Amino acid sequence: MIEVKDVKKRFGRKEVLKGVSFTAEKGEITCLIGINGVGKTTIMNAIVALTPINSGQILIDGEELHKGSYEKITFIPDAITMLPQMRIIDAMQFMDDFYDCWNEKRAEEILSFFKLDKQERIANLSKGNTAKVNLLLGLAMDVDYILMDEPFSGIDIFSREQIAEVFTSHLIEDRGVIITTHEINDIEHLIDKVVLLNEGYVLKEFSTEEIRENEGKSVIDVMREVYQS
Amino acid sequence: MNRYIKLVNFEFNRFLKIYLVLIGITIASQILGAIIRSNQYLNDMNDLLYEQLMTREAALEQLGKISFYHITQTVWFMGPIAICIVTLLIYMFFIWYRDWFGKNTFIYRLLMLPTARINVYFAKATTILLMVFGLVAIQLLMLPVGRRVLQWMIPVDFRVDQTIREILTSFDYLMILFPSTFYEFVIHYAIGFAVVLVVFTAILFERSFRWKGIVFGLIFGAFAVTIFIFPVIVQAFILPEFFYPIELFALECIAGLVVVSLSIWTSNYLLKKKIRV
Amino acid sequence: MSVTFNNRDPVYIQVIRHFKEQIATGRLEPGQEISSRRELANKLKINPNTAQRAYKEMEEQGLIFTERNLPSRITRDEHVLNAVREELILEAVDSFVTSIHAINVPLSEVLDLVKEKYENKSED
Repeated sequence: MIEVKDVKKRFGRKEVLKGVSFTAEKGEITCLIGINGVGKTTIMNAIVALTPINSGQILIDGEELHKGSYEKITFIPDAITMLPQMRIIDAMQFMDDFYDCWNEKRAEEILSFFKLDKQERIANLSKGNTAKVNLLLGLAMDVDYILMDEPFSGIDIFSREQIAEVFTSHLIEDRGVIITTHEINDIEHLIDKVVLLNEGYVLKEFSTEEIRENEGKSVIDVMREVYQS
Repeated sequence: MNRYIKLVNFEFNRFLKIYLVLIGITIASQILGAIIRSNQYLNDMNDLLYEQLMTREAALEQLGKISFYHITQTVWFMGPIAICIVTLLIYMFFIWYRDWFGKNTFIYRLLMLPTARINVYFAKATTILLMVFGLVAIQLLMLPVGRRVLQWMIPVDFRVDQTIREILTSFDYLMILFPSTFYEFVIHYAIGFAVVLVVFTAILFERSFRWKGIVFGLIFGAFAVTIFIFPVIVQAFILPEFFYPIELFALECIAGLVVVSLSIWTSNYLLKKKIRV
Repeated sequence: MSVTFNNRDPVYIQVIRHFKEQIATGRLEPGQEISSRRELANKLKINPNTAQRAYKEMEEQGLIFTERNLPSRITRDEHVLNAVREELILEAVDSFVTSIHAINVPLSEVLDLVKEKYENKSED
């Protein structure tokens, strides 16, 4: 379980996280939704210690992040984490060199699922394919938790469909996933849990099936209630 | 440790192309310089002997014999050294900043490697150091090459052959790169390495705190310099002639160690607790 | 297999309903093997946990059964199968009656219309 406890974060005088708390379970897809502000990405960065927090605590399976945690949790930012001059195969080699949890077999499987040519240079890839390679680098690691920042933004509809398919497949199964998005439409049926953020606060945290079952509301209904009140 | 070596290898390869170009420029320019300078000497000498019809003795009296020293004074010889130094100085900054800027976010990858982040710092420092030594070694090899060019082009009566040691000692700037004793060699390069570490720490201050970090970085740099020259200041102003040279040297070594340890400790802290993407 | 889900009913309930329709119309036969949870999630583009929940619920209702580690199958129990059929018919009739009731039409007129439409549809 990933536990975010009362996390506060300032950039200069601007407080972007004003005491954020939520949890994300293993085996579930948790979606951070915010209609504005930079909070979502900041939370993701904070969970994997890519930005310091001013107060609060973040625990991964009960312990604070340390260097070994990167074999257990990974973050896929919205831009690719490899150098443009690398070919896909070089990027895969890099991962293989540095991570014990790199799963070459799965990487090959994802390559063919996304129909990517591993000899191609990252610099020459389309936006959609860059996003897919970025995703591949994270998904092919045998980690328990995967964080994805806006995996659907700025890419064509077919790439989006393909990426959405990942969420219903064994590539995700049994892992804990946190994704951020500002657009829920594509993935409403894919997620287990929603955390609604606004202006640095968590406004509501709920299970999508429970809210449908108990209140007969869609995620967007809840968002409308919460953000417009 | 293993990942550290992989990182060094990776960092080295990232700069390899430009590095090979630097080596290429150095070799080409210095050989060309030796040819051009020798040729110029031959022209001048021919002018004196065959146009102005001077005697050989009078011509040598006026023009002097040529030695490798004259070649080292040309822009062909000094230029590439300057280019290499400037490039490496710039690269000392670029080796960090390139990971933050650009379309990719490679710094995310580096900071999320399952290894202590200080290894990234060590790997980058090691890369710079290896490149410096590489260029210094190439330069050292280029000296006999240039000398041989000179010997091919100029008849023995018109030139002074110098040993490598004579070449090095006849030229102040080269003395910094190639000190005459091993002792001095270690000191020069240890200071250079300490400077790299301090600059890296200053860069990490900037990357952690941005604008405020520039100020912290500069303060840290000034602090490091102060510690390092402190024994000398004491010797010069506070307790004149108090230490024996060997004592002063020992104090300098300690001061240097303090500076290096402080840099590494601070960088480790910044990378662990303060750095941001 | 493609299903359009609405956003306001629990997805697992919509999945179960989808199965019931398939059973009632005979597209899923008694004893027929069904896809694994993961395959189902993939085909319907839903969360694997939701597929899991739907299967668990169907198992409890006796719609499907699983022997040891074999794939799950549609039940052969006549009672359950008939009940599914009846449930769907009743549900459809109920919603039909509700909407007809709202327009306030006499039953005889409606029945004639229903008969006519139903026969036309069958001829198509």
